[in-house]
Amino acid sequence: MDGTVDTRYWRFCAWMGPLFVLVFFVCWGLLGHNFPPFTPDTPASVVAAYFRENAGSVRLGMVVAMTFAPAYGVWGYSIAKVLEQVIDKDNILVQLARVGAAWTTITVLVPTSFWLTAAFRPEALPDWMIQMLYDMAWLLIDLAYAVTSVQLFALGIGFLADKRKVPLVPKWLAWYGIWVGFMFILECVMPYFRNGALARSGVLNFWIEFLIWMVWVPLLTVYAIKAIGRIERGE
Amino acid sequence: MTTLAANAPHLSASPAELPGDSGVWFFIVADMCAFAVFFLVFMVGRAADPALYEASRQMLDLRFGLANTLILLTSGALMAQAARDARRGAFQRARQMMIAALIAGLPFGLSKALEWQAKFAHGLTLTTNEFFTYYFVFTGIHFLHFAIGLVVLIMLQKVAVDDRMPTATRLRWIEAGGAYWHMVDLLWIVLFAMLYLLRAA
Repeated sequence: MDGTVDTRYWRFCAWMGPLFVLVFFVCWGLLGHNFPPFTPDTPASVVAAYFRENAGSVRLGMVVAMTFAPAYGVWGYSIAKVLEQVIDKDNILVQLARVGAAWTTITVLVPTSFWLTAAFRPEALPDWMIQMLYDMAWLLIDLAYAVTSVQLFALGIGFLADKRKVPLVPKWLAWYGIWVGFMFILECVMPYFRNGALARSGVLNFWIEFLIWMVWVPLLTVYAIKAIGRIERGE
Repeated sequence: MTTLAANAPHLSASPAELPGDSGVWFFIVADMCAFAVFFLVFMVGRAADPALYEASRQMLDLRFGLANTLILLTSGALMAQAARDARRGAFQRARQMMIAALIAGLPFGLSKALEWQAKFAHGLTLTTNEFFTYYFVFTGIHFLHFAIGLVVLIMLQKVAVDDRMPTATRLRWIEAGGAYWHMVDLLWIVLFAMLYLLRAA
């Protein structure tokens, strides 16, 4: 052992984060009519008609989104490797950052399969059932926020412990992650509303909640890539 | 002893620097931006249906709002004194002031619980109408900030007298905690004015 850190594949894995966000946005978001979603008070006939008329594109979107869902976990593990250079690798925060990323992958995979089920044979399903699958997927993906918060808090608190004069991840970004994890709590009231700012399609519970998370991933990636270079230089 | 008056000149922040920790300030600004969006959403809703908002506003008990404002302002003033004490190196006194700020702030929780209980007793809930949706959600999230602030105060009063920690670090965290606690005050003042005082029609 020469004391150097083996950073092979770290960068590749780190780039999986922005790739995930891009694929998720296009496939789950645009092809699946989830960005923005149908408002909860949209009639079941409208949701069902969309799935019947666009079954092919929704299937394609969900299949690709499911294929790339593990990219989030891969990214999360690479960020956890960077965190190991800030705090001891046995520190529980490193494990929580990893498991938070892995759990988030599951909470993307499972609801995506519900949307895919709705698009599998929509001509044979009643309107209400397609609406139920659509609702169920949204309730799961939104209310599973807490597993991602585990990752956000663990990374935020961990990176704040950096004693370097110039930290590998700036303090503002560590705090931003903590803030995002904290903001997710708004999702708790989502099931109570079928329209308005707090509904799943509303300005607070969709536009702000999803965007602040989707911005966090590439931002943290940029600093992680820089950090990997610094780790290789022994900083 | 934690009184370090001799170090006081070293503890004074440069006028060009923010007191406390820059990262915490980022959190505070981000949080205030989120609340600014909350306020904007509320005002848009209010402009669309002023009669409903005004009728709902009149169902709030102004006494609770006023009491909460006074409680938080008193607690905030004590916290400001704690930061001043810490800046001049009097960490033991800063600790006492933080404990006083904590005790002065606690009735806010009681008052909030009583106020919400009264609303529930009158059948007013999260889904009664748009005004009460925002009332419960915004004051609920604010309450969460308050609860976190109490935990921060409990931790900081220990930090203040932790001789193993450099004085500059202790001051930084006390000032950062103070900035957060003042944000809790400030957000409440805006919530109080917006929910309880502002006539919509």
